[in-house]
Amino acid sequence: MRALLIAILVLALALAANAVAITKVSRERDALKKEEGTGLLFPSSIAKIIALEFKGLVADALFSRAQTFYGGKLMRKEDLSEEEWSWIYKSADTATDLDPYFLDPYYFGAVNLAWEANRVKEANTLLEKALRYRTWDWTIPFYLGFNHFYFLQDNEKASEYLMEASRRPGSSSLMVDLAVKLSYKVKRTENAIIFLENILKRTDDEKLRREYETRILALKRLLYLENGVAFYREKFGKKPKGLEELIQRKIINEIPADPYGGAFHLDAQGRVSSTSNFMTIYTHK
Amino acid sequence: MMRAWAVALITFKEGIKNRVIFGIFIIALLLFAATTLITTLFMRDIVKVAVDLSLSTVSFAGLLTLFFVGVNLFSKDIDKRTIYMVISRPISRSQYLVGKFLGLLLLALTVGFLLGALSALPVIMSKRFYYYTEARFAWDVFFIAVVYIFIKLAIVSSIITFFASLTSNSFMTLVLAMVTYLIGESTEGVRSLLTSGIEAQTVSPLLSSLVNIAYYVFPNMSAFDLKTQAAHGLPVSLAYMSWTALYALVYITAVVAAGTLFFRRREFP
Repeated sequence: MRALLIAILVLALALAANAVAITKVSRERDALKKEEGTGLLFPSSIAKIIALEFKGLVADALFSRAQTFYGGKLMRKEDLSEEEWSWIYKSADTATDLDPYFLDPYYFGAVNLAWEANRVKEANTLLEKALRYRTWDWTIPFYLGFNHFYFLQDNEKASEYLMEASRRPGSSSLMVDLAVKLSYKVKRTENAIIFLENILKRTDDEKLRREYETRILALKRLLYLENGVAFYREKFGKKPKGLEELIQRKIINEIPADPYGGAFHLDAQGRVSSTSNFMTIYTHK
Repeated sequence: MMRAWAVALITFKEGIKNRVIFGIFIIALLLFAATTLITTLFMRDIVKVAVDLSLSTVSFAGLLTLFFVGVNLFSKDIDKRTIYMVISRPISRSQYLVGKFLGLLLLALTVGFLLGALSALPVIMSKRFYYYTEARFAWDVFFIAVVYIFIKLAIVSSIITFFASLTSNSFMTLVLAMVTYLIGESTEGVRSLLTSGIEAQTVSPLLSSLVNIAYYVFPNMSAFDLKTQAAHGLPVSLAYMSWTALYALVYITAVVAAGTLFFRRREFP
């Protein structure tokens, strides 16, 4: 009887101690993880060998780890450092070396690297790999075309990629249209809006959607002002001195606000631009 | 041949009765169930992730069965001294060994067939959940990949048979067969790493010839891994299928034949 009581007592104590210990352990683990930051990555050639026949699975795990890390940063509202972006790029690169047809890392890498990390070159490197393998997928050359047009301002290349997109099954007839339009250097803002509206349709990531929507709004307001300036030049045969002049001449009613927090103005070359340069002006910190 | 077949049936029955098989099946079913949860972590290529997980589970469960049930089926006969009953019958040692191998093959076929059929379920579910318009998936390639998992298991069975004919210690058989499997899975990768020259390091000729020898001696398991093709519905050519199937057939024949040579000369304690 006494032995039984002791056994029960020991068990109860151990269980209680366990509950305390595990909360301590999880706290310590969190602290350790924060110090560790990103995880170990093998070079692709080694990863391919040690993944044995489970290359697809390892690719899934590698990419999901990077994605979770990014998501965690997003939840804590922390910005990613340059090293962390590099790690995300390398994760996506290794994952797509293990399974070169895997869409998610291409998509995530291409879109987030270009838009959030300003790493268009790396985004395009990933997309170029996707272009070689996902030969049926028209969205890959479409994104490449956009990056070349919008970020690199290389209309010729962009046009080539869009032509490639239009040749692939399931692409919309808009591709050829855009490709042709790009060969005219003008109408840059208009083309950007068409492009982005098309991308928005295919995006379900909430944060990216908001980013695209803001950009489209900014571009539409920019277009509005650009059209106003063009109208002024046609009517008066000279450039306006400032945007206010457009209001004075009753061409526009008001100067719209820049959704990025800057102010629209005419630059030295007489082009409409914004003090924000279409980058979010952070007020916090 | 009929005698070998009788041994095969006994071996198979003994294997399928093993409780470990239930454990392996339960693990496989849990992994299939987990697939539907894990796929929700991904954005677009959900069906690909489901295929990866399902087919890897089939392969993993098959390997577990062969390594932890199959290996013991050989040593049991010797440990329990039932081998004396068998070799005193009018059956040659070669027939006995071939029968044992066929029994293992039946076990692999059963596990591969059952789990292969079940593995379609998580794929169907994830496909209903979300199917990205630019994803490619084809059921025929999926089931070709399942057949190739079975072919790979057949090669592993032949390797186990070979090592079991060499040593009476089941642990040794297990370790040697596992190492052979690991080498077989990596020779192609190592070889292409050495020949690609991306590493920009001079490889000693001794090492590269060793790797080459390993490539021809050990089975090239990578040839039977069609999971990526299944996940993306990539076509597999008829020539590829016929050559790899022929390769598997001749490799298995050679390994089992070599096993019978050793087994003839074996002395039992």
